[in-house]
Amino acid sequence: MSEMQLPLVIFTVLSQTAVGLVVISAVRQHAAEGPVGRVRFEWLTAAILLLVGLGASLFHLGHPLGAPTALKHLGKAWLSREGLGIGVFTALVIAGFLSAKGRVNAALAFVAAAVGVIALFFTGMTYAPPSFPAVNNAMPIVFFLLTAAMLGAGFASYFTPAEKMPLVTRILAVSLVVGLVLYLAVPSLWLSGGTVMQQTGMNHLLSPLYWGRIVIGLVIPLIGIWKMRTVPSWAPVLILAGEIMGRIAFFSLTVHAASNLGGIY
Amino acid sequence: MKKQLAFYIDSRRCIGCFTCAMACKNQYHQPYGVIWRDVYELKEEIYPHRERAFYSLACNHCENPTCLNVCPVIAYYKREKDGVVVHEQDKCIGCGNCIRACPYGAPRYNPVLKRAEKCSFCWQRLDAGLKPACVLGCPTRALQIVDLAEFDEPNAVQYPAGFPRYPGLNPSVRFRLPAMPKMIRRKL
Repeated sequence: MSEMQLPLVIFTVLSQTAVGLVVISAVRQHAAEGPVGRVRFEWLTAAILLLVGLGASLFHLGHPLGAPTALKHLGKAWLSREGLGIGVFTALVIAGFLSAKGRVNAALAFVAAAVGVIALFFTGMTYAPPSFPAVNNAMPIVFFLLTAAMLGAGFASYFTPAEKMPLVTRILAVSLVVGLVLYLAVPSLWLSGGTVMQQTGMNHLLSPLYWGRIVIGLVIPLIGIWKMRTVPSWAPVLILAGEIMGRIAFFSLTVHAASNLGGIY
Repeated sequence: MKKQLAFYIDSRRCIGCFTCAMACKNQYHQPYGVIWRDVYELKEEIYPHRERAFYSLACNHCENPTCLNVCPVIAYYKREKDGVVVHEQDKCIGCGNCIRACPYGAPRYNPVLKRAEKCSFCWQRLDAGLKPACVLGCPTRALQIVDLAEFDEPNAVQYPAGFPRYPGLNPSVRFRLPAMPKMIRRKL
């Protein structure tokens, strides 16, 4: 999308991390037997991630004070729906943190998780406009769900008791494998599209950002998990670095349809 | 069909002089780098001749405008009386969503005002009974305005090679294709 869009990179990655963290926390507390871990601190982390992300998102606006008016077009604009979804999700996460006594109330935890996933869907639709043929489809939603799964499971490992680490390790390992296969396959699929999609595919395959993300964010953490049979404490940090690189690639290497006016599409 | 104004780009007549783009610039004095109308040369893969051919492009005032649909602050509206898509810049918060979403690259970011902006079809001039500045400025009449409700040119094309095809948006623009040059060779 021609620019790095750093505020949007920070906002999307951190908000999706929070969604994953809350979903895994809800499952770990209420859908699996045994101790639940440091839930209150986990929800505080999710709230901080969301607030930092929302703060960063203001910096991509020409007029940040006008941000509240971005909720005016809920009938049609996915960006308005995204703003509402993330706003409600943030409120629920803060409520979960404030009300948690050992555990977060089951209904609140699952409602927050569901709203988070819906908000993630809205974000995916926002970044799938017709002007970018390579991502004018369900791929942004899939990318963002993978971010939530990988970073959610990764960061959840810091708050998970030893008894439930195998569950979180399995979720993270499966997410990393799916992510590795998907991110290796997608650029080659783009190569089979029209000129603009091919340019997007080539931009990725020739970019150190893309390969850096594959190695740092996916391969090395997978090897670490495979060797140690659990989530190493350094793995979530590497996955976060990889996701940030991947999101910068998403915004900067995806080619706009208008870039080839006068040429073949 | 309701009245829908559209640009008619006659590529047979266009000589690539950029007068339309300059007329737009003279009319609105956009800051450096902010271009509402531009002239695109057809690439050799489409028009492989010694002669050159051009499309003069701006906002297409689509029947179903993406810019309007994605704008979170409802800064765009489509005029009932002529289908012109108007951007109300004072409402814009500069989120860039319309700029990312329009496949024709019509909305541009104004770094001075920190808001988006685009071709307005010179609606103020239209309301005064005048032609848009670009149409008025074109020395070869290669750029014209037509009403699609009445337009009946059998050779007009909506999606020529070199112009992205988005039927869902239904851009209000029609083209006359450039002439194929006649090759004259001496008999050996």
